[in-house]
Amino acid sequence: MIEMRNIKKSFGSNDVIKDVSFTLKNGEICALLGENGAGKSTLMNILGGIHQMDSGAILVNGKEAAFHTPKQSQQVGIAFIHQELNLINDLPIYENMFLGRELKTKRGSLDLERMLQETEKIFKQMDVNLDPAMMVRDLDASYKQIVEICRAMMTNASFIIMDEPTTSLTDQEIERVFKMMKTLSEHDVGIIFISHKLNEVMQICDRYIVLRDGNLVAEGNVHEVNTNDLARFMVGHDVRTERLNREKQIGKEILRVEGLSNSRFFRDISFSIKEGEIVGFTGLLGDGRSELFQSIFGAEDITTGKIYLNEKEVKITSTQQAIKEGIAYVPRNRKENAIIKDMDIIENASIVTWPHFSKKGTINRQKHKEMFAEQRKALRIKMGELTDSITSLSGGNQQKVILAKWLAAKPKLLILDNPTQGVDVGAKEDIYDIILKLAEENIAIIVLSSEANEIIRICDRALVMYHGVIQGEVAGEEMNEHEIMRLATGGQRASDKGGIDRNDIKSG
Amino acid sequence: MISNPDKTAIKDKQSFFQWFKYKWSSDPLFSIAIALIIMIILQTLVLGFDYDSFGSWFQAWINNWINILRNNAATAIVALGMTFVIMTGGIDLAVGSTLVVTGALSMMLLDTGTKGFLLAMGISGAPAFVITILVVLLFGYLLGSLIGVSITKGKVPPFIATLGAMMIFRSVTQHFMQGYNPKVPSEFLQIASFKIGSFMIMPIIYWAIIAIILYYVSKRTTFGRQIIAVGSNERAAKLSGIHVEKVKLRVYALMGLLVSIAAIIQVSRIGSMDFSNAGRGMEMDAIAAAVVGGTNMMGGRGFILGTVYGMLIIAVMNNLLNLFGVPPFLREAFKGVIVIAAVLLQKKEKTS
Repeated sequence: MIEMRNIKKSFGSNDVIKDVSFTLKNGEICALLGENGAGKSTLMNILGGIHQMDSGAILVNGKEAAFHTPKQSQQVGIAFIHQELNLINDLPIYENMFLGRELKTKRGSLDLERMLQETEKIFKQMDVNLDPAMMVRDLDASYKQIVEICRAMMTNASFIIMDEPTTSLTDQEIERVFKMMKTLSEHDVGIIFISHKLNEVMQICDRYIVLRDGNLVAEGNVHEVNTNDLARFMVGHDVRTERLNREKQIGKEILRVEGLSNSRFFRDISFSIKEGEIVGFTGLLGDGRSELFQSIFGAEDITTGKIYLNEKEVKITSTQQAIKEGIAYVPRNRKENAIIKDMDIIENASIVTWPHFSKKGTINRQKHKEMFAEQRKALRIKMGELTDSITSLSGGNQQKVILAKWLAAKPKLLILDNPTQGVDVGAKEDIYDIILKLAEENIAIIVLSSEANEIIRICDRALVMYHGVIQGEVAGEEMNEHEIMRLATGGQRASDKGGIDRNDIKSG
Repeated sequence: MISNPDKTAIKDKQSFFQWFKYKWSSDPLFSIAIALIIMIILQTLVLGFDYDSFGSWFQAWINNWINILRNNAATAIVALGMTFVIMTGGIDLAVGSTLVVTGALSMMLLDTGTKGFLLAMGISGAPAFVITILVVLLFGYLLGSLIGVSITKGKVPPFIATLGAMMIFRSVTQHFMQGYNPKVPSEFLQIASFKIGSFMIMPIIYWAIIAIILYYVSKRTTFGRQIIAVGSNERAAKLSGIHVEKVKLRVYALMGLLVSIAAIIQVSRIGSMDFSNAGRGMEMDAIAAAVVGGTNMMGGRGFILGTVYGMLIIAVMNNLLNLFGVPPFLREAFKGVIVIAAVLLQKKEKTS
């Protein structure tokens, strides 16, 4: 049995875990629920020895334990299966099983035979039907999970933490992992199952605990509650959801897509957006919304479907073409997708419009400086010199520079993917203001966000995605965190009896 | 972290030491320029002052310099193109072989013997020279484009694509030029040997003109800045509407064009070319000059001016070793030390 008592943890001035206590018994499957940023990962990282708690105690089988490294946590029998699996694709399963603690012969070479036998033994014990000599590359995501779990069992783990193991799995693969979890619990292993998918929690878990803003807000037996209850626990009632108002002037249709599909990330997507409208797209990790809009922007492929801009059908095959058509896309993960760190602020702010304002290939710096001077004021960008490195700015100001470069292109459709990611509270409100103002200037705006709160505050309506399809549309009173969370976790719309008619969604 | 504290300090107090420290840490070319100045002072000292008058000393000093610059002009021009290639995150190993192909082509066109291509068509003299130069430049551009297409469309890694091209170009040239020794008309040699005053400095002038043009391209043009964007963050560049493939293709094509210019300079300097040895190791010398000049092998950062400095540092060092009487086989080792030392020196800069 693991007991966590009065755990507290803060990063800087940010209290991430505020006095959380809970216990996990052997043979029990316990769901750990909570929104992004509720403190789930931090709590589990403390248990896994990755972070150290500020105060509190951890008792394993009644004995107090303190973990300073992941290794110490493993030694008392806790295994942490991370979302990014820790396997080497180009080695066979049995060598992966002994990664870092390889068996050696007397002469010091690898004892492959014994490693193979040991692997076979554990597979048999765990009822896994898998050839240990297979390459890990050839396994599907669920078998990779299973290999990691077996590896943990080999080191006599009696508690396993699984961080969103089903996110990237198909239904069939999920079943396979669940079967494995059942076997584990029969072997008296305690499991903490972190997931956003409430249906799965109902199906597999015995108990649940819910974190919100670093507090444990609910716990109990799963069979005493339903998904609606769980969603309500996660969101809470005291969340600020005041809607930001603006002068609405909805004009003619800007973008309409019909039956858009891509071989991997999304399928059969249909919706439309008009001038001056702000439409939200939300869902959980892996819902395909980023890939969908990167495809509409010409950065990824589209297999089937049609895109209409201003009522005319277009085929967008490159980002330059998308820009010419008046589309702007502010990507998520600013550092990887938007910031060019070897260039200064003014260059990062003008990169999109270089070709537009250049004379015979020479960049018109004066023009860009004038434009940026205006935007700098309008967007309230706090910065030093124009020629300072972009990395000298705070996250919020970097994001505003990225916004500035797109506004310079005068888009008709602005797609914002996680616009407030890694941005502090003040800059967040600034960005909301900017979005509302742009909508008043008749730009059609699409906001992609995993924060339901953000969607509710600025959007006129929202489409909720789940596993690459639009699960439902919410607007007005229906657009609340509860309803969004329910759709995002795969639930049906409350008002929809007997499934969703996609034609309804399209007409919006 | 909005204002740079060093920067405000420098405005308040203008002490030389502070200015130096600020420049050293903020201007990536500063340390390279200092290194170059030290080398030049050293070289001047070694050359000695054992002359009758200042005039004769100056004459010797200038002549030494002209020799250094002229001998390195062809490689230096290639190094400028290599800087762009490396800035996109790529590499071009095929420059030496491209030099040989384009050089061979120019000699075949110009040959005054019976096989002379243009002569057979009744074209000679100035028109023949103009045609030769245009055809060779176009050919170099096409070869570069070919490499560029295999990298962008074929998705072959630059190292592999240019390694393959390196082998193919030289081998084919050697095969077809076997036992054939074209004679280049002596008037053609004027291209490199024309004297201004008493100085034979045409190759240096070509180098300077190309360096100035490419400096402008890298600093002021869409193409030049897009190179940095592509090399620094390809994904972000694509999502900012930059045609990444087009930029890369143009960079390799430009590289081919510059190599063909270098080939014409080489041929017009000596009137012949050793097809099995000419341009061997040129790619490494070009890369070394770019790296010493502060170009990041991972792409994104690079300086045309830095590459000029880098080339000069290596050239002056060679000259110094020569003056010191260091055995030829050992000189390469010093070059290696310089390259590694230069990168260690640049390490101090922000890595974030």
